[in-house]
Amino acid sequence: MNNTSRMVVVLLLVGAISGLVLALTFKWTEPMINEIAQSNQKKAILEVLPKAKSYKTMENNNQLFIGYDDNGNEVGLAFIAEGGGFQGDIRMMVGMDTTEEKLTGMTVLSHLETPGLGARIEEDWFKDQFNEKSIEDDFIAKQDVEAITGATISSNAVSNILKNSIPKALDAYRTRGGK
Amino acid sequence: MIELILLFVGTALVNNFVLVRFLGICPFLGVSKKVEVSAGMGAATTFVMTLSAIAAWFIQNYLLDPFGLSRFLQYVSFILVISSLVQLVEIVLKKVSPSLYDALGIFLPLITTNCAILGLALYIPIKDYNLIESSIFGLGAGVGFTLSLVIMAGIREELEFADVPEPLEGAGITLLIAGVLSMVFLGFSGLIAM
Amino acid sequence: MRMWKEFIKGLWKENAVFRQLMGMCPTLAVTNAAINGLAMGLATLFVLVCSSVIIAIVKNYIPDKVRIPSFIVVIATFVTIADLFMAAFFPDIQKVLGLFIPLIVVNCLILGRAEAFASNNPVKYALMDALGMGVGFTWALTLLGIIREVLGMGSIFGIEVMGVNFTPWIIFILPPGAFITLGILLGIFNAFSKKKTSEASCH
Repeated sequence: MNNTSRMVVVLLLVGAISGLVLALTFKWTEPMINEIAQSNQKKAILEVLPKAKSYKTMENNNQLFIGYDDNGNEVGLAFIAEGGGFQGDIRMMVGMDTTEEKLTGMTVLSHLETPGLGARIEEDWFKDQFNEKSIEDDFIAKQDVEAITGATISSNAVSNILKNSIPKALDAYRTRGGK
Repeated sequence: MIELILLFVGTALVNNFVLVRFLGICPFLGVSKKVEVSAGMGAATTFVMTLSAIAAWFIQNYLLDPFGLSRFLQYVSFILVISSLVQLVEIVLKKVSPSLYDALGIFLPLITTNCAILGLALYIPIKDYNLIESSIFGLGAGVGFTLSLVIMAGIREELEFADVPEPLEGAGITLLIAGVLSMVFLGFSGLIAM
Repeated sequence: MRMWKEFIKGLWKENAVFRQLMGMCPTLAVTNAAINGLAMGLATLFVLVCSSVIIAIVKNYIPDKVRIPSFIVVIATFVTIADLFMAAFFPDIQKVLGLFIPLIVVNCLILGRAEAFASNNPVKYALMDALGMGVGFTWALTLLGIIREVLGMGSIFGIEVMGVNFTPWIIFILPPGAFITLGILLGIFNAFSKKKTSEASCH
């Protein structure tokens, strides 16, 4: 075997072995990774819809979830809201009561805010102030809700994301055969 | 158009690859002694970064995503493409423009293991950029990298005349200066919500 | 006794972070908390040991010209395995380390050891060398993480240690704090040892 073909064979072999090993590892870990993602989502949805015991993902839209209580009655709508924060995108799960038109909770799924400052949007006192707020609220930081000291931009970002995403989610919910 | 300009400024200044995202620290510490050399390294890196961003976009959208390979072949394919790209640039440059090759050639082999390039490629699927945004992102990242490298080199040239405490000579004082520079760039944050 | 020598040198004498300034990106980026530094160190240790051993085994079958691409593929393979494994078993840490797990591929410590040591030494020495370098890298990252977490959040591994009256110096968990902490640490280590930290040995 001459040098060039040996090089090609070795490289192909290295690539093939690597691909095979990775495909096997992926096959082994994939169910666990998916399960973790599923259970995280479930936890977030049930957290923002305190009355719900189960939920269903809306058809045609995997960002919208309808919560049901034990008797199978609709108790609220949860949706994923995202938008720009201080340094990167903030993703939140928001829950609302569609009949009383108020928020029932929100929780932060992922963010890239500054640790110790903007990252405090994850803290309970901040998240809980959105509970029971009317969905028509403007959520203006320092006025309607308390802002985080030293992280006004992050606080404003959360308010803006909520204000922008609520009408959109409600629209999507109503046009797809909600009440 | 305005979004693209914002993306460019945001990538170059607000989320500066070196000083805020900690990508490409090795050349930042190693090659930042002379302004001229830094500018050359920056130019070569910017060039490869823009090309890598475009290449990463094509691979992600036409190879990895359609066949569902993204989760386990992304890293291997990106690093292979980057290293072949660097080789290709080296060969083409040598043929097409020997003078440019003389200026940038020595930096090219170092670029493969510059984590800013792989980092950039990995950001493209995360940020879900389209082709134009990807190339602007690559260009902005390169310009930001060059900027921090040249600023650092400018300071270090002056530093040769300064009386640095002996234990801090070399890497120590460079890191402390980088810390101050990083604070400066932190001042840009919040300028553009990304 | 050579086995022991190959292991011990990575801990201090040729420590990747404090003596050779290798793998600076993860060293600075993920050490804003002790647990992150430790996790990053262990992930790097895993990749370093696996790829060094594999490379030491197959080194004679790989033609010189395709040496580097083959090494990179081996390293990237183990990095992906580490990433998938962490996503399945330690999802929270995987999320925090984020982009810096795939970037282990271009950590010059790993390619550097593969090139300089594993590709021309027997398997058992390559293993000890990789273990030593990896442990050295891990303790360095954990130390940085501890210092930054204590000053920046008043805790170690998430346990409060500074009392309620302590005002955290948030700058230490922000990017500037990473540069400053490492700069001062290098100064302190240099002041107490005869040999100075080399200038960055990989670019």
